[in-house]
Amino acid sequence: MPDHLFVGKSVPRTIEADKVTGKAVYIDDLKRPGMLYGKILYSNHAHARIKSIDISKAKQLEGVRTVLTGQDIPDVRVGFLKDQTVLKKDVVRQYRDEVAAVAAISPEIAEEAISLIKVEYEKLPAVFDPFEAMKQESPLVHEIDARGRPLKSNILPLPWKFETGDMEQAREDSVYTSKDTVSTTWVNQCCMGTSGCIAEFDQNSNLTLYDQTNVIFGHIGRITEYFSQIGLRGKKIRVVNPVVGGSFGTKLDTDIYEFIAIQLALKTKKPVRILFDREEEFQALPPRQPAVFTIEQGCDKEGKLIFRHCEAILDNGAYTSWGATTPSVMMMPMSSLYRVPNVYFKATCVYTNNIYAQAMRGYGNPQATFAVETSMDTLAEEAGIDPAEFRLINRNRPGDQTPMKLKITSCGLEECIKAVKEKLNWDEKQGKQNGRGVGMASLIHVAGGARVTKSDGHGIMIKLDEYGHVDVIESGTDQGQGSPTVISQIVAEALGVRPEDVFLTFGDTALALWDAGTHASRHTFMAGNAAIGACAKAKRQILEMAVEQMPKIIKMGLKRKKRKDPEFVEPDLDFGLIANPEDLDIRDRMIFPKKEPDHPYFNLPLAQILQNGLLVGTGQSKVVMAEEFYDPPTEMLNWEMKGNLSMTYAFGASGVEVEVDEQTGEVKILNLIAAHDVGKAMNPTLLLGQIYGAAYTGVGYGLTEEIKVRNGRVMNPSFRDYQMLTAMDVVPIEVVIIEPIDEAGPYGAKGVGEPGLVPTAPAIANAVYDAVGVRITDLPITPEKILTALKEKK
Amino acid sequence: MKKVSVSFTLNGNTVTAEVPVTWTLLKTLREYFELTGAKEGCGVGECGACTVILDGEAVNSCLCPIPEVEGKSVTTIEGLANEDGTLHPLQEAFLKNNGVQCGFCTSGMLMSSKALLDQNPDPTEDDIRTSIAGNFCRCTGYVQIVESIEMAAKESK
Amino acid sequence: MIDCDYLRPDNLEEALGLLKEHGPRATLIAGGTDVMAKIRNTKKTPEVLVSIRGLKDLKYIDKRSGYHIGALTTHRMLEQSELVKAELSALHDGASRVGSVQVRNVATLGGNICNAAPSADTAGPLLVLDALVFMEGPEGIRSVPITEFFTGTYKTVLKKDEVLTEIKIPGEMEHFGSAYWKHSRRKAMNLPILGIAVSLKLEGEIISDVRIALTVAAPTPVRANKAEDFLKGKALSDEALNEAGKIAASTECCSLRDSLRGEAWYRGEIIEVYVPRMARLAAERIAQRRSK
Ligand SMILES: Cc1cc2nc3c(=O)[nH]c(=O)nc-3n(C[C@H](O)[C@H](O)[C@H](O)COP(=O)(O)OP(=O)(O)OC[C@H]3O[C@@H](n4cnc5c(N)ncnc54)[C@H](O)[C@@H]3O)c2cc1C
Ligand code: FES
Ligand code: FES
Repeated sequence: MPDHLFVGKSVPRTIEADKVTGKAVYIDDLKRPGMLYGKILYSNHAHARIKSIDISKAKQLEGVRTVLTGQDIPDVRVGFLKDQTVLKKDVVRQYRDEVAAVAAISPEIAEEAISLIKVEYEKLPAVFDPFEAMKQESPLVHEIDARGRPLKSNILPLPWKFETGDMEQAREDSVYTSKDTVSTTWVNQCCMGTSGCIAEFDQNSNLTLYDQTNVIFGHIGRITEYFSQIGLRGKKIRVVNPVVGGSFGTKLDTDIYEFIAIQLALKTKKPVRILFDREEEFQALPPRQPAVFTIEQGCDKEGKLIFRHCEAILDNGAYTSWGATTPSVMMMPMSSLYRVPNVYFKATCVYTNNIYAQAMRGYGNPQATFAVETSMDTLAEEAGIDPAEFRLINRNRPGDQTPMKLKITSCGLEECIKAVKEKLNWDEKQGKQNGRGVGMASLIHVAGGARVTKSDGHGIMIKLDEYGHVDVIESGTDQGQGSPTVISQIVAEALGVRPEDVFLTFGDTALALWDAGTHASRHTFMAGNAAIGACAKAKRQILEMAVEQMPKIIKMGLKRKKRKDPEFVEPDLDFGLIANPEDLDIRDRMIFPKKEPDHPYFNLPLAQILQNGLLVGTGQSKVVMAEEFYDPPTEMLNWEMKGNLSMTYAFGASGVEVEVDEQTGEVKILNLIAAHDVGKAMNPTLLLGQIYGAAYTGVGYGLTEEIKVRNGRVMNPSFRDYQMLTAMDVVPIEVVIIEPIDEAGPYGAKGVGEPGLVPTAPAIANAVYDAVGVRITDLPITPEKILTALKEKK
Repeated sequence: MKKVSVSFTLNGNTVTAEVPVTWTLLKTLREYFELTGAKEGCGVGECGACTVILDGEAVNSCLCPIPEVEGKSVTTIEGLANEDGTLHPLQEAFLKNNGVQCGFCTSGMLMSSKALLDQNPDPTEDDIRTSIAGNFCRCTGYVQIVESIEMAAKESK
Repeated sequence: MIDCDYLRPDNLEEALGLLKEHGPRATLIAGGTDVMAKIRNTKKTPEVLVSIRGLKDLKYIDKRSGYHIGALTTHRMLEQSELVKAELSALHDGASRVGSVQVRNVATLGGNICNAAPSADTAGPLLVLDALVFMEGPEGIRSVPITEFFTGTYKTVLKKDEVLTEIKIPGEMEHFGSAYWKHSRRKAMNLPILGIAVSLKLEGEIISDVRIALTVAAPTPVRANKAEDFLKGKALSDEALNEAGKIAASTECCSLRDSLRGEAWYRGEIIEVYVPRMARLAAERIAQRRSK
């Protein structure tokens, strides 16, 4: 193992000093000349026919530049299943449907104009329960599909089904079985920076979109498709990220407000900004997808899992965004968390008149892992095996290929489970049911990209100027994960400069190469590998330049010395040491011969070589610039939903010790252990930050957070009512890092962005059971639910 | 729209703002003075992203009517670093110890912690957590923020 | 429409004058935490805002013949007052759990009471501390016991042209121990699901006097008189306290409702559990003070 100067070190985030001085420019802070402010009018019915919209008063208000309704813009369908239009013209299908939009010279005027629009509705029968919605007699949320064909049912045409092995035989072979129904609810991503964008057209109708998306090229794809239907075919779209105030899944899809900003800008020929306020963020931003699982498992006498059978119902809401695709990720823990040979998983997405859902950190995995890990505990109890032991028996191992055809390369699950056991003092504490309890849960997640589109590529370009500054043009989005620092470490290491020499440009499609998006915990892995590749190419160019320039510079230096000091005796130098690029290396801004790194004459500053290479004279100038497009040899899922979609997988286990107040149902977390297999900790301090943040969000998911939706309406659209945790809700977290260096990863690293969240809630649920003997199978685990269960138990 | 003229000290300088009377201090800072470090995360006192220091105390600038600032002293994140450009120990600590991720909560966090350290240079963990309880952060889980503030307190001694 | 006149009188007299002059068009603003949030949420301003923030004379915590607290005293001042912590502990408990430090730095005790939210965190404590509310208007000064101050949800006896000036707590409260429990799902930035305040006096092991107040248990903060009557004269025992909790949770003392923040049955459970717990804490505090 070569020793590294920067990789593996806790390099501070100095590169992001703008964020601690108020200088960082978020979408809120960005203004364009002549910019107008857009606002959206939402429906206040969950299902209704629009009888009339009166915009006359709004139009007359001074300062209003345009008012748009569904009548004013092309009737084009957008979204994952093309099941909605940008502004709704005839029918609204959810409480927050976009009905009209305004652009005005100030946000206040836009706001007032919105309040002046009068809409008349005729209420239609609505359905809010996915199980009701599946019934024959249920009102239909959509009458026709994207192609205009009549729909007969609220069930989406998304056949999420995975099957392997012989379920019938497996049931027969099982000595112990368990069956649980578990459910999860909507939670909001709670980015501290609310959603927003600025749409701006140039004179030739090319669009620049200042936007927080973390899939900048995916955005272009969707908008290009939209453009082709609204008369803007072939126009160029540029997406530029400002500094992003948190993402957590919200910036994956192209949301309706983004299309609305585009329409307002198109109409007014001015840049238009739409910026959500917090209430809108809670009300109109698609949250995490809720689901209900019925899960059965069986094992043999020794506790080896034989089968897992699970059916899930997902409340899709009125429209389809990424929430409906979360089963593709649910499939991963369902099929591959622990060794289980026979698996059946089916997920049904159902339209209702509720709000629709999308991605959130973990993307379906937290929901599914809650189901699997609840079931693991009930089955362990059935089989009379200690739950930790049960997990160890069934753990994944390096070299496994799972039923989903995931190839497990490195796997630290065993170490993680054992670390949790040890830190929690498990053997002593488990099984007492005396008001205190311990519980654990594990996870598997993609950690080396995720091939969900045909390319899972990531491009990086680097160039060096004649002062030794390195510009890195990153095709990903910096949403706070620390990539500027980590990528600067990697580039510094790979190129032989220092992190402070590296300057990063994130998120600009006009500059960057293609990227599949900063999602699926893939960024460090992908960008890291791409950076290493680009640096190798750039380094080769530099060293070629050095081979040309070094002898000249050295000889000139000697001559100069001689001129100054006639006594000076020129040394007899072996220029053979620096004759070939392969003989040279760069470290800490210096170029030197590999064979004699400390050679007194053959050590020259990188910047000097770059300068000499550029300023050589007629026809000879050279610059250094390299690019790498890294697309790993992974597979898309096939029609059977099988395929090795990631280069490597992250494993981990969370353990929790709780104290439950049996009189009030309140849960206090005494200790949370988060043990994670991270491949290699590129920057231990930043890595901890990812795990703390994710685990803490997981605690909220487990105990406090829920969007309360009543008849389709979000009832708690504020931080006061939505129970995200504060700094006072102390959860003592201890992180254990397991580093089974993964060959595919940059310097051995795996992705870590999402895993910390995934096993937290089920670990809490299992600990609550261990403390007081009641199992809460519906998130969040509120005191009310615990108290109700305790009363039932008595 | 009725306007007011309000004079106060802003990051050490005497300033006057002529703004609509209904504007908040937050809006005035962001729109009139173009100091966009203080953020609006909710506009109703519930998130802390807009926290500034008003006469020595951390307040939600989104809840502060601009006329109330007359004659007072306001410090924002833009006034936290030293005049020579070197960072305040809190800023250094946040960078060093990963107290900042997306950064949206950071201005408010730093101002809340500055007010704390000014009043109590030797805070306990509990003091620290109490003083930032009104500053939501989704990225960090607060752990490294608390550590950063502890680090800065030590460093400032 | 967002527009208004913003008036900043220098003294109480001027403030009263302005209230009279502008009549129903005027709204008082103190710390403004309720008023400003409401403006933002409803997108409407009152025509005239009369700010009393500048009335420094109404910002004090004094102990003379009793405890005198100016209406403009902030929650932060109450939180940081050793006197309040030691002798009016329930009020300290309540004030220090309001919102966040930023909110407590500006939000006032007077505003909390005048806003009259069923969830106001100082209402329960003031109820068990026998507070007297002083108001000044064109007709002069008057006072009412806090038990008569709240007339409904967000409603009080305060007239449009009156200013609440002082909260007075009788000196004999010195002999009481008190405590307030704010029940909420997280520890800060929250309104209570339920609030329980208890104050009591002990003679030996006998509870010689006791007050119990509940918030978010009825349209206004209320005293649980029946539970108090039951406890008075009884020994401080689990049995008695648990029974008092049951009475407090019954329809004799409150009218619990389901709301977004909590269900009625759960609120009842919490009253049953926390009336005894707060009574114990109040008693402990008496003991602590004696031992000092
Ligand atoms: C983010 C946030 C969190 C909060 N958390 C809590 C909490 O945890 N617990 C809690 O109880 N409250 C909470 N509140 C509510 C609020 O902070 C308190 O009610 C506060 O005490 C109000 O005081 P103020 O000075 O800000 O009142 P203002 O907003 O200035 O006034 C409130 C009302 O009282 C009237 N008023 C004020 N002073 C007087 C006076 N002297 N005489 C006559 N009328 C007067 C005003 O006209 C107005 O109607 C919170 C508010 C916010 C914004
Ligand atoms: S913007 Fe002021 S507290 Fe949220
Ligand atoms: S750093 Fe992102 S919200 Fe705190």
